[in-house]
Amino acid sequence: MNDSAATMNQGPVATPQATTSAGAPKLTVRDLHFYYNGFHALKGINMDIPEKKVTAIIGPSGCGKSTLLRIFNRIYAIYPKLEAKGEIVLDGENILDPRYSMNRLRSKVGMVFQKPVPFPMTIFENVAYGIRHHEKLSKTDMTIRVEQALRSAALWDEVKDKLKQNALGLSGGQQQRLCIARAIALKPEVLLLDEPTSALDPIATGRIEQLVEELKNEFTIVIVTHNMQQAARCSDQTAFMYMGELIEFSGTEKIFTKPGKKQTEDYITGRFG
Amino acid sequence: MSSLYLRRRITNWVAMGLSMLATLVGLAFLAWILWETLRQGIAALNFSLFTKITANGADGGLANAMVGSLVINFIGIAVATPIGVLAGAWLAEYANRTKLGESIRFLNDILLSAPSIVIGLFVYTIVVLPTTALTHGSTTFSGFAGGIALALIALPVIVRTTDEMLRLVPSTLREAALSLGVPQWKLTVQILIRAARSGIITGVLLALARISGETAPLLFTAFGNNYMAINPIDKMSSLPQIIYQYANDPGDAMHSMAWAGAFVVTMFVLLLSLASRLVLSRNKVSHE
Repeated sequence: MNDSAATMNQGPVATPQATTSAGAPKLTVRDLHFYYNGFHALKGINMDIPEKKVTAIIGPSGCGKSTLLRIFNRIYAIYPKLEAKGEIVLDGENILDPRYSMNRLRSKVGMVFQKPVPFPMTIFENVAYGIRHHEKLSKTDMTIRVEQALRSAALWDEVKDKLKQNALGLSGGQQQRLCIARAIALKPEVLLLDEPTSALDPIATGRIEQLVEELKNEFTIVIVTHNMQQAARCSDQTAFMYMGELIEFSGTEKIFTKPGKKQTEDYITGRFG
Repeated sequence: MSSLYLRRRITNWVAMGLSMLATLVGLAFLAWILWETLRQGIAALNFSLFTKITANGADGGLANAMVGSLVINFIGIAVATPIGVLAGAWLAEYANRTKLGESIRFLNDILLSAPSIVIGLFVYTIVVLPTTALTHGSTTFSGFAGGIALALIALPVIVRTTDEMLRLVPSTLREAALSLGVPQWKLTVQILIRAARSGIITGVLLALARISGETAPLLFTAFGNNYMAINPIDKMSSLPQIIYQYANDPGDAMHSMAWAGAFVVTMFVLLLSLASRLVLSRNKVSHE
């Protein structure tokens, strides 16, 4: 039901064809503009997000970092009057093409939000729920799959004896790891994290950061954070955004030690933002 | 003490005093009604109220009215709940912030405040008259018609609470489910209605409490029946209708039976309100 890569329109900007080799971009953003009810929120973003690396997006409030992240799985489209123009190429296909199936996109690109939002059901069901929508698994396969996801999210040991309990009884940090488990249970290729620790205490935050470090072996991770230390600690690449524009995008170490632009330096040294 | 400060304190006392007085007046009438119902009702309570039927008059009981009320209320809630919950879900999840949604929400509020006698007449016209014509007069008024009339009164209450409770569910829950690729209908039925479950149940219980005391819409629909009727095809009695009838009777014995009926209805509504509070407080697990 989906168009194959060969028939997809690649757009005016030719993207490298060897996108699957290691180090090559997983997601390519080309001349991306975004409008909130007419307000020009993103102004021509271009960036290549490398595969199986952690890419952090930082910038002051309202700079468009969450907006950008929310275009990667087209979650913005559930609200009226929002419009994205340009291209985001995932494995050679433009995900902004209306013909790109939403179901397929969301099974390939998972997302974790700012506040932990467990579903009002058991811990097991929280993880199984998404899988069940995309795949028909036997009971044993489902049990294995849920365990895998909970182990990958470093939550298994804490919940293995209470899988049948309501997920709302978990602590905030545990709930957020449950949300990560729920997202990675679908075996996505890209994982989007939208300020995943801003509602958590320092210990829970540390655990999530450690988890991000482990997960990058399997997934391409894009994390939006308002916490610069967090970006410095757990990302490979950092993008700095300001007023809807991508100011600078390079290796995290370079951004934090030798930023190439005056605005980046001002921001990371705390002169504004 | 400066005069400005003194003036503010006096204004504060006056405002506080007036609002406390207003609260007391409201509560006093509620307490008075409850007290009078309890006093007169308990005095009139006896075992035969629950075993004998109204055909025995002053020596009888209210058993047929109680059974009738239960059956008619059950039909009303059974009809109104699925329609109301689905309509509320549609308003909150599919038609929120659309012109059509706003218009229907407005119409629903009009139905909410429609005089119940009008609803009784409406059901008389669309249910009682056609069934009379179709059955050549063998079925006229019925418990079923009464249930439909009560359903029309319960419906807007359920639509409104479902709509409001669903709109209180944080949008992050919707985003989280949609980001897994789950379609809107699954999200609504399996997650959002579940998340708002206790609020929706409360709405249904409040609607039940509301219809338990309705008299006017039953007069031309269920009509009343001095004998025990269990099949809703028959004419049926109900507590509010018997209270109305007995209170109009000149005999003191009939008056005290009306009070006993009023006591039973009041207790039923009181218990429903308590139950709805219990449902709400037991499920108070927030998303924070």
